[in-house]
Amino acid sequence: MNRPLSGAGLGFRRELIEPLKHSVPNVIDFFEVAPENWAGLGGRSAKDLRHFTERYPFVCHGLSLSLGGPASLDTQLLHKTKAFMKAHGIQLFTEHLSWCSDESHLYDLLPIPCTQEAVRWTANRIKLAQDILEMRIGIENASTYIAPPGSDMSEAEFVAAVVKEADCLLHLDVNNIYVNSQNFGFDALDYLNTLPLERTCYVHVAGHYVEPDGLLIDTHGAEVIDPVWHLLMAAYERIGGNVPTCLERDFNLPSLNELTAEVMQIARLQAQAPRIKKVA
Amino acid sequence: MTAMFQSFQQDMARHLRDPHHTMRPAGVPARRMAVYNEMLFNNVCGFIDTCMPLSRKLLGDTAWRCLCRTFYRDWPLHTPWFRDIPREFVRYLQEGNPKQPLPRWLPDLAHYEWAELAVDVMDVPRPAANAHGDLMAEIVVLNPARMDLHYDWAVHRIGKQHKPRKSMDTHLVVYRDADDAVQFTEVNAATAHVLALLDVQPMTGTQVMQHIAEHRQHPQPEQLLAFGATLLKQLQEQDIILGTLP
Repeated sequence: MNRPLSGAGLGFRRELIEPLKHSVPNVIDFFEVAPENWAGLGGRSAKDLRHFTERYPFVCHGLSLSLGGPASLDTQLLHKTKAFMKAHGIQLFTEHLSWCSDESHLYDLLPIPCTQEAVRWTANRIKLAQDILEMRIGIENASTYIAPPGSDMSEAEFVAAVVKEADCLLHLDVNNIYVNSQNFGFDALDYLNTLPLERTCYVHVAGHYVEPDGLLIDTHGAEVIDPVWHLLMAAYERIGGNVPTCLERDFNLPSLNELTAEVMQIARLQAQAPRIKKVA
Repeated sequence: MTAMFQSFQQDMARHLRDPHHTMRPAGVPARRMAVYNEMLFNNVCGFIDTCMPLSRKLLGDTAWRCLCRTFYRDWPLHTPWFRDIPREFVRYLQEGNPKQPLPRWLPDLAHYEWAELAVDVMDVPRPAANAHGDLMAEIVVLNPARMDLHYDWAVHRIGKQHKPRKSMDTHLVVYRDADDAVQFTEVNAATAHVLALLDVQPMTGTQVMQHIAEHRQHPQPEQLLAFGATLLKQLQEQDIILGTLP
C-alpha cells in the first residue's frame, strides 16, 4: 500500500489505537509518528503500527536529531530512522529547527540563537541528514519561550535563511507561529510572509495552554483556537490547500470523535483554499 | 573557537541540568527560563515515573525527585530514544554512585520495573517451533522475548508492607507470551541454570541435563533427566520454551 500523502491527518498515539482499530474516520487521510517513539520496537506496539502503516500513509516527525546542536550529528539515529521509514513505506521526514542535546540529551526542543554562524552550522547538518536519508526533509519552525541573546536576525528570517541555505523543505507549524507571536509581540502574518512558503511540504496545527500570566505554552494539550485556524487559512491562501496537514494532540487526549471534528475542520479549510501548484 | 551561539547553548544546557546551582544564561529573563527548567525536567521525570511507579512510591516523592534531578544533572544521556531513559536511570542507580542515601534494594527493584517495559517492546521475532516436539530428544527453542533476571533481593515481594532488610538470592523470568502480554515468574536456581545453558548454545533437553549432572557431579544422572523432562514441559506450558527446532 502506498497511497500518496495528502489531505488531513492525525498524530498517531497508543491511546488512540483501540478506537482506530474499531474504525478510522473517513476524513483521516494519514498519520504522523515520531521515529524516536516507534522505531526499533517489537511486540504488540510493532504489530499495531504495522496494521496501520499497511493501510495509511505515515509521516515521520523527528524529535531528537538536535539539528542546531553543538555536538556531532547523530548519524546512527538517521540510519535507524531511514530503515524504519523504508520498512513502513514512509516518504516524508521532518524535524524541528531547534536543538535538544550537547554531548548529552536534554530531551526537549530548545531555541537556537538566530545568527549567521548558526544558519551555516545548522544548514550543513540538515544537508548531511538529507544525504543520509537520500531525500529532502522538512524543517519546522519551533515554539520558543526565550529570544536567545545575540541574534542578528528575526526568527522568521532565521528559518528562511536556514531552509534556503540547506535547500530543504519547510514544515510550517501555524500554532508555533501564533504562540511565538503572542509571547514576543510580533505580527503572525508578517512572520508567515517572511518564510519561504513555496517550499512548504507539510503543515501542523495544534492547541496550546495559556498560563495565568498570559504566557502561551505549546502543549498540544487543548483544542485549536480560532486565531490559529485563521492563521491556517491565511497560510492556505498563500500555499494552497493541497499541502498535507496534521493535527497534533499529545496531552489531555479527548475522544477520537472530538479529534476527528478538528481533522474535519482542517479538511474543510483545505477544500475552501485555492489549489496552488507547488514549486518545490 | 566556540561560536557565540554555541557558548549560549553550553550555558543554557548547564543551567537546565542544575538550575539551583548555576547562573541563568545572560540575557534570559527568569520567568522564561523557568518555563524551560520545568518543562524539560518534568518531561524526563514523566518517562521515569511511568516506568517505575513502585520504586517512586516506596522512596517517597521528595527523595524520588531529588534522585531524578541528580540523574538528569550527572548521568550522560547519549540515547535519542525516549524509552531508554528509564534504562539509563537504572544504570545510574547501579553505576552512577548517587550520593543520596537509598534503600539497598532500590537498584534491583527499579531494574525489575524497567524489565517489564524492556520485554514489552523487545524487538525480537517469535521463531518457528514445533510445539509437539520431544523436548528431551530435540533442540529446544526458547522464547527470545525474555529476560532471565538474577537479583540480590526478592524484588517481586517488595511493597509498601514489605521492605526487606535481608537480601535473598532471587531468580525471575520476565517474558512476552503468545498474546504479547508480559508475564513474570519466579524460578529456582536449577531452572535458571537450565535457561542460561540453553541461551548460550541450542541443545536438546537431554544434553542440557547431562551438562548439569556433570557440573554438579550428580551421582544419579537418570534422576536428573526425569526431573528435566518435567521442568521443560512446565516451561513450555508457561511459554518460556516455545517447542523444538522444526
